[in-house]
Amino acid sequence: MHGLPRHRHSIHCILPPYLARQIIQNGSPQQRARILRTLAIDNTFRAMRLMRSGMPRMARALIPGSMVVESQKQRTIYDMKNSEQFPGMVARIEGQGDTGDVAVNEAYTGLGATYDLYWEIFGRNSIDGNGMPLNAHVHYGTDYANAFWDGERMVFGDGDGEIFNRFTLAIDVIGHELAHGVTEYEGPLAYFLQAGALNESLSDVFGSLVKQRTLNQTAEQADWLIGAGLFTDEVEGKALRSMKEPGTAYDDDVLGKDPQPGHMRDFVRTWEDNGGVHINSGIPNRAFYLVATDLGGYAWERAGHIWYETLRDPRLKADSSFLSFARLTVIAAARLYGQGGEEEKAVRDAWNQVGVRISRAKAGEPIEAVGMPAEQQPVAH
Amino acid sequence: MRIELKREGGLAFFPGLSRPRGVDLGELPPDTAEAISRGVQEARFFEQPSTPGPASQRGADRTSYTVTIDDGGRRHSVQLVEPVEDPRLRALLELLKRAVKEHGGSAHAHQ
Ligand SMILES: [Zn+2]
Repeated sequence: MHGLPRHRHSIHCILPPYLARQIIQNGSPQQRARILRTLAIDNTFRAMRLMRSGMPRMARALIPGSMVVESQKQRTIYDMKNSEQFPGMVARIEGQGDTGDVAVNEAYTGLGATYDLYWEIFGRNSIDGNGMPLNAHVHYGTDYANAFWDGERMVFGDGDGEIFNRFTLAIDVIGHELAHGVTEYEGPLAYFLQAGALNESLSDVFGSLVKQRTLNQTAEQADWLIGAGLFTDEVEGKALRSMKEPGTAYDDDVLGKDPQPGHMRDFVRTWEDNGGVHINSGIPNRAFYLVATDLGGYAWERAGHIWYETLRDPRLKADSSFLSFARLTVIAAARLYGQGGEEEKAVRDAWNQVGVRISRAKAGEPIEAVGMPAEQQPVAH
Repeated sequence: MRIELKREGGLAFFPGLSRPRGVDLGELPPDTAEAISRGVQEARFFEQPSTPGPASQRGADRTSYTVTIDDGGRRHSVQLVEPVEDPRLRALLELLKRAVKEHGGSAHAHQ
């Protein structure tokens, strides 16, 4: 659906890993930098980076630090000056200081925090995994009460001042929009029905992780709200959504009542909202919250890695259902942290609690193992 | 001329904001009604396809508006997805959003 090849050809197709490692150790600085950047999208190195961040310190020490690529954060914030005619005026570029415009600064900081989460925790270099520049456009339109991803850039309105404040105010919303870019580049998830609700949920998950990491909160300390602070004082509500208690974020005369379900028995069948993508996302949102709080500590550590790996799983399909996504999270938990471990159990329990049952017999089975390196194949039973 | 506007999508689904809203041009202040009539003509509303603009599948959280206009036996619906590229359609949408916000009622109140 995004018109980009899923498997990009890179130097690792022709260069065996041992040779690449030799160049990294013995090559000139330019050679090293080039190889490292190329390898940033190589599966072998992806697995290594996951080990670095998700494994005990002893194991991490075995992987040489020279394999870490330098960050390629490249932000540009455009001021739309209340017009809708792109691109607007460049207001702040990478490395520039405070501009005095609060929306510009919030977008700059929010994109930075989101880039850092993907880079430092998941070893992902920007939206496309290859250093794609991050462009945000603020002050879009007049009294414009929304934020969106248009396939290339993030767009933020100032809000109407009656119901909504400016949309850059919530750092998780900035993370949410950038995460849509990642999902679009990474996976094929259609923006429709259950796959669309998974797409939405992934944006809430990574948006929330950006906020939690910025505030240095554990899963227990986090509020698990999406877009807290966006409503003005006129609104009866605390946020756009609650991952912890879907359906409780607002109940207001003008907005109506938060329609999100937190369990499959309340699943909403509708053609509105692309088949309820912002409605039924409450179910996978709550599953993630349950995994994160069950495991405890920082949600980006284990729960976040399991979800990120699932997003990257080639078996995730354009029309993936909650159930097939849930199965892939179980497989990812087992692959990353061991079969039958507390992580796998936490993931299985969480889905069970929201009414998505993964049978023990089926979860370990490969649903389809297309293009998977041998070491990533699930263990056969 | 009667106009109905239905909002969908955006970063969140708000049941209260997604109800179709309608307004009769006759109920509007003459200036506003005239501006809308002119806007409908300039945007060639009745000649627009039901989904104008590039059929882009990319992006997320975009707001879309379904505009339905009844005018003396003619009835036409157009779905506009933000950002609306055509400046005349964009201007018309702005007029309609404002009119419905200030004067509109539930779309079914008059039926
Ligand atoms: Zn979204």
